[in-house]
Amino acid sequence: MIETHLYGNLRSLVPGSKACEDTVLEKEFKEGETFLDFIKRLGLEMKNLGDCFIDGTLAKPEDVVKDGSRIALFPFNMVLLCGGQHIKGHGCTREDLDVNYY
Amino acid sequence: MSPKILRINMSDLSSKWEDLPNEYETFAGRALTSSIVAKEVDPTCDPLGKFNKLVIAPGLLAGTTAPSSGRLSVGGKSPLTGGIKEANAGGLTGGKLGRLGINAIIIEGKLPSDTTDWYSILVQKDKCEIKKTSNYANMGLYNLIKKVWEDYPSKPGIIGCGIAGQRLSLCAGVFGNNIENSDPGRFAGRGGLGAVFGSKRIIAVITDDSGGEMPQAKDKEKFDSGRKKFVEALRKHPITGDLKDADGNPFGGLKNYGTNVLMNILSEAGALPTRNFSSGRFEGAAKISGEAVHELVDKVKEKLGDKSTGTYGHPCHPGCLIACSNVVPYEDSGEHHVGCLEYESAWALGANCGIDVLTDVTELNRLCNDIGLDTIEAGNTIAMFMEGGIIDLGDGPAAINLLKEAYNEKSVAGRLICSGTLVAGKTLGVTRIPVVKGQAQPAYDPRAIKGIGVTYSTTPMGADHTAGYTIAAEILGIKGKVTDPRSIEKSALSLTFQATTAFIDSMGYCLFIAFCILDDDNGFAGMMDTVNGFLGKDIDAGAYGTNILKQERSFNMKAGFTEKDDRLAEFFYNEPLPPHNVVFDVSDEELDKVYKNL
Repeated sequence: MIETHLYGNLRSLVPGSKACEDTVLEKEFKEGETFLDFIKRLGLEMKNLGDCFIDGTLAKPEDVVKDGSRIALFPFNMVLLCGGQHIKGHGCTREDLDVNYY
Repeated sequence: MSPKILRINMSDLSSKWEDLPNEYETFAGRALTSSIVAKEVDPTCDPLGKFNKLVIAPGLLAGTTAPSSGRLSVGGKSPLTGGIKEANAGGLTGGKLGRLGINAIIIEGKLPSDTTDWYSILVQKDKCEIKKTSNYANMGLYNLIKKVWEDYPSKPGIIGCGIAGQRLSLCAGVFGNNIENSDPGRFAGRGGLGAVFGSKRIIAVITDDSGGEMPQAKDKEKFDSGRKKFVEALRKHPITGDLKDADGNPFGGLKNYGTNVLMNILSEAGALPTRNFSSGRFEGAAKISGEAVHELVDKVKEKLGDKSTGTYGHPCHPGCLIACSNVVPYEDSGEHHVGCLEYESAWALGANCGIDVLTDVTELNRLCNDIGLDTIEAGNTIAMFMEGGIIDLGDGPAAINLLKEAYNEKSVAGRLICSGTLVAGKTLGVTRIPVVKGQAQPAYDPRAIKGIGVTYSTTPMGADHTAGYTIAAEILGIKGKVTDPRSIEKSALSLTFQATTAFIDSMGYCLFIAFCILDDDNGFAGMMDTVNGFLGKDIDAGAYGTNILKQERSFNMKAGFTEKDDRLAEFFYNEPLPPHNVVFDVSDEELDKVYKNL
């Protein structure tokens, strides 16, 4: 089972969801599925998304999703800002630079 | 309009105007506050004594048509850290000082210690009055700013100190009125500079820019074309951009959700400090997030229409295009509860105290604004009372009652809650005290985000999340592939982050332009053109910022700081943070490299 937490306009994938609560969609696990495959399964494309996480780590399209993962999907206008940008190591919000800052 | 310094002497209640010295020709905002403090303040002085000075300086472009450029810097020696401090805020005062052609106000000297009178400074075009305003003392700041606009109907900018600063509390911030004068919450909060105001017996600096003029760029064409490019870039960026897209759907992240958009994101990242930095994920994050505020504002507007004061997409200063501020309304009446509820405040007064009730967090923020407290420091101080067993973790009503003690001059708990995290923590027997150089850490756990830990440790400001924005990519030309993360360049990177941040802190620009200018080369070029066009010459942003850091670092060294002060509290090195179960493992050698070759 993949526990998918949805934020911003993505909450609309779960009818009746509220912004002040956790919006969680449970999806069955598919062996070998990548993050990109997973979001396509939800009817989403990478361009709809901001910074997303698999078990608290920034998700890359080619990451293989494990059973029991907690996936967090944020929409295009919600990304790591401010101090949070140090997780990526750079200040670009639209690009993924290949830098590992600590 | 030639640039001027207004120098106010509180020893003899005199004031005089000086020309801006040539050496400060390109200096403004933080560059000016830090340079003047470094030059004129004895680094070993008592921050609440006669020899400390307050320097108030608008950013370089404050009062111009450059977007989001009206920020104000307040500097001095910090009573909280004992080092140099620059605190930065929006509000009305920055732009108004710009329009008056005042590059800095320097407040020096001190009245005899048995003085009971309180004063306010009225700043007008070519005029300054030091007025006795003892009737402004001991007032909640919501009432004070109302009173000041009644006394001065020209709608002035107002900054100064509240009850906490008047009682010389270390947690006292410098308040600032918002555009509508409905809230004193545009705080230059950090480092206890409100107490320095109190030590000078000053409650308010009131800036009336009637008769002022817009500062003019030396190269108008370059400035204007830069401004247009920059505005376009800001508006179309998904973070700084317009409220809605062409189809009427929510677009700009900051306009819709404010800085508090980060609450959910940091929680998912496992980096949201929860319950006094004991965990990185807060189960109640959604309840106190920017999305929750957005939902509340919409709900109350739907119920009460125009009677509701609630809003988002609200500018903190005139001319701000990013408009990330908000007003949280009372749910039943729609009246103004607080404006605004920032991420750092919602975190400090919410997640870090284990409080997940939005109205409690909002009330705590309002109380901080009314009493004149830095919300980050106050929230961490409340967490000390919780970990020290005085009130329960997560008990919002108890935290509210605790803060209210501050209104009672005779209440020891009231004084302690305003004394900052370190003092309260030590008094209450807490060993997990999250401070650097005596200042409480903000809303990012350094174990999960090591880069911010490097900033917290090494910046001359004490634990500060705004001191080292990751905005160096363009400056360093690393917008591309960067390899070898384990190399010494990391420390150089941190220094450059801090330097370029210091540069933006001086320009009057809000730091949040960073989110746009890194992604959009036109935005970056436009921004630099507004700066270079205004000055009539090109400046090197990296060198400019590095010069500021040199002076700040040098001041701190003379004040007695050593490398030993560039460290986090011990528990961050050996207490793993769930859910990632990581510790802060950046070595002392690496931290020392950051400033080694400055």
